[in-house]
Amino acid sequence: MPCDRHAHLLSAYLDRELPDDEHEALARHIADCPDCATLVSDLRQTSSAVAGLGREPMPEGLSQRLRQSLEQASDASAPSPSQRPVPALSAAIVPRHWTASALMRQAAVLVFACLLSALATWWFVTGSARDTLLARDLLSAHLRSLQQESPIQVASSDAHTVKPWFAGKVDFSPEVRDLAAQGYPLLGGRLDTIAGRRVGALVYKRRLHLINVFAWASDAPDTPPTLTMRNGYNLLSWIRGGVVYTAVSDLDGDELKQLSQML
Amino acid sequence: MPIPSRFEQLALPHQEAAFSLAFWLLNSRADAEDVVQEAFLRAFRAFDGFRGEDIRPWLFAIVRNAAYRTLNNRQRTANVISLDAAFHRREGDTGTPLDVAAEGPSVEDALIRKAERDLVRLALAELPTAFREVVVLREIEGLSYREISEITGTAVGTVMSRLSRGRLLLRRALARKTGKDCSHAL
Repeated sequence: MPCDRHAHLLSAYLDRELPDDEHEALARHIADCPDCATLVSDLRQTSSAVAGLGREPMPEGLSQRLRQSLEQASDASAPSPSQRPVPALSAAIVPRHWTASALMRQAAVLVFACLLSALATWWFVTGSARDTLLARDLLSAHLRSLQQESPIQVASSDAHTVKPWFAGKVDFSPEVRDLAAQGYPLLGGRLDTIAGRRVGALVYKRRLHLINVFAWASDAPDTPPTLTMRNGYNLLSWIRGGVVYTAVSDLDGDELKQLSQML
Repeated sequence: MPIPSRFEQLALPHQEAAFSLAFWLLNSRADAEDVVQEAFLRAFRAFDGFRGEDIRPWLFAIVRNAAYRTLNNRQRTANVISLDAAFHRREGDTGTPLDVAAEGPSVEDALIRKAERDLVRLALAELPTAFREVVVLREIEGLSYREISEITGTAVGTVMSRLSRGRLLLRRALARKTGKDCSHAL
């Protein structure tokens, strides 16, 4: 068979369904290739032979039957004026029906409002508490990693080893870069648990300071880094590309910010 | 005469196309008639959910689904060949093929044209359903690949490859039926 590469495109070429540049490239090829030119003309003939068949004509009376069945269907779903119940009856039925649905609507609005206020209260009461809880959890995880023999499960300074290691272990893909040249060598990665949730941890070093960069998926929009202090440790949090990052270290806050900018 | 509903105004103009599509999917006029009736009723009931601008792809998708249900019921999902489809005489045609020649240039020409047409019909009817439907939507209804992909619920790339394959199969079948040289056929 001639020109394997093009055969499957010739049909789309005939229909002018290829992008302009591909179409022109193929047109140039066809001009030079007698096999493809023959195939194109064969396909064109086949195509017009089928087109020449035209539509299969409708059976006599089908159009009328279609109209009738649609009329019947619309009569069934929305009664026409002539088929409506007599006025006395409709007066008795329609308002009751209306009242019931209006009551339901009011009840729904009420329930919704209650839910909303309860949710707002809960948010207000627990919001700030939750942030401190999270910070405490992150700090504990950082301290835990310092006490362990090794803070890392995959030891590598190669970002292309560490990043794929997380695939299948967490539901997101963290930014992993080796910043040895900038004075922040990558030691490796680890899985950890924060607030009952599995997170990824990237471990960097700055001189003698160890830095844990925790990462987990989030729907929240991107936010710039914010620094908080807790028990003498710095916690720097930011959100980028649907991933929340928090760097925890006893390193100076400014140097931690430098790391966040390079990640 | 009741005022036609919005649905009727939008959908009824496509009844010929809908019947033709159902016929080519089912290779049977009787089944196609049932399917079109069923599909139009379903479309009417689902019309509140229609949010598009062009009703045709939406309506055709419903016709197609109804046709496939019938095909499945028949327990023969592909390669339905019926002589009814291939040699069905159109309602306009009357009597013997010789009558056609009355206005034509010659009896022989008319016979040849009719024979060729029947061959194309048979070749199309013999095409597997997945190929036949894209060929019909493209060649007879003149739809774009995007519209066909909407109707068949497949990717545009799939439409492209099925159409290509379908035409190549048709070309080969026609070459075989007419006894033409097909040494360079795929």
